[in-house]
Amino acid sequence: MALVDVYAGPQQRIADVGDYFALLKPRVMSLVIFTGLAGIVVAPGSIHLLSAFTALLCIAVAAGASGALNMAYDSDIDAVMARTATRPIPMGYVTREEALTFGWWLSVASVTIMGLFINLLAAGLLAFTIFFYVVVYTLWLKRATAQNIVIGGLSGALPPAIGWAAVTGHLSLAPLVLVAITFLWTPPHFWALALFRSDDYARAGVPMMPVVAGKTSTRRQIFAYTLLLLPVGLAPAALGFAGPLYLAATGAMSAWFLYGATRVLFERDAVKEPAARKLFFISIAYLFVLFAALIAERLVGISPFGAWL
Amino acid sequence: MDDREIELHNARARKRRNLAVGLVLAGMVLLFFLMTIVRLGGHVFE
Repeated sequence: MALVDVYAGPQQRIADVGDYFALLKPRVMSLVIFTGLAGIVVAPGSIHLLSAFTALLCIAVAAGASGALNMAYDSDIDAVMARTATRPIPMGYVTREEALTFGWWLSVASVTIMGLFINLLAAGLLAFTIFFYVVVYTLWLKRATAQNIVIGGLSGALPPAIGWAAVTGHLSLAPLVLVAITFLWTPPHFWALALFRSDDYARAGVPMMPVVAGKTSTRRQIFAYTLLLLPVGLAPAALGFAGPLYLAATGAMSAWFLYGATRVLFERDAVKEPAARKLFFISIAYLFVLFAALIAERLVGISPFGAWL
Repeated sequence: MDDREIELHNARARKRRNLAVGLVLAGMVLLFFLMTIVRLGGHVFE
């Protein structure tokens, strides 16, 4: 037998750069970058453009690292869910160990750079965000309770506070209001997804609300969280750190969100769940428009209501 | 994909991965250099 034949077994496709990029959950990362940018832009005071870029890069890399670690620890769940079965680990392109190494190195790098070049509060919040998403949400809550995304939503909500801390070096009510908006937005957003993917979650044994409490209860809870979210969404204008553009945009989006949540509440098609699919889309648009309005007001120079007094 | 295609893909993937790692490391060196200047301001040569 020729020596080369010894190595000529069936070949396995190795991971491309794109597979590693997919580990970073780019769509989630883009939302985190956006809300983090809002925190940087809205915060009082000034920051060098390169420092702002570095802070945003650290937030983005940390979000990506959390995504990679989540995919590594949840690869057993991902493999049995239709939505996630084509991710790089279930497909066999990247091993779980490679994803863990990739994720933890990026986590350490992002927190270290944030601490070295921005400030320790921003770095500490960034480390807490990674810890909360990976350890508290992924390793513990996700498989343990139907409240998984309610509590775990805190990690996805923190980027505006990190952006704010990067500029000011401290926290105040305003960034916490921005955190509260994303925190209260998370349940209606993910439960809308869970309504039309409930079979997937049930097959994977993930205790999402529709699997554990049923669809009727989930619809009521989506509506309840929507009622909680909408006034908090208007709070930046009421508290004076947002202006008329934000108020108009939030007013319109709140009405759309409420309409979508009401349609979900009275949905009759429990198989296709068209209202939940629509609400999932509305929720993404809602968060995007709110933070876009905040950023636009600062960039265009529209004064917040607080400056009118 | 047959073995030949996989082999070609793997060779291309390795090249792209090496290039990506190189670019990221170069980017980090540049970022450290520029951020050092930003942090030290006008006192960078003192």
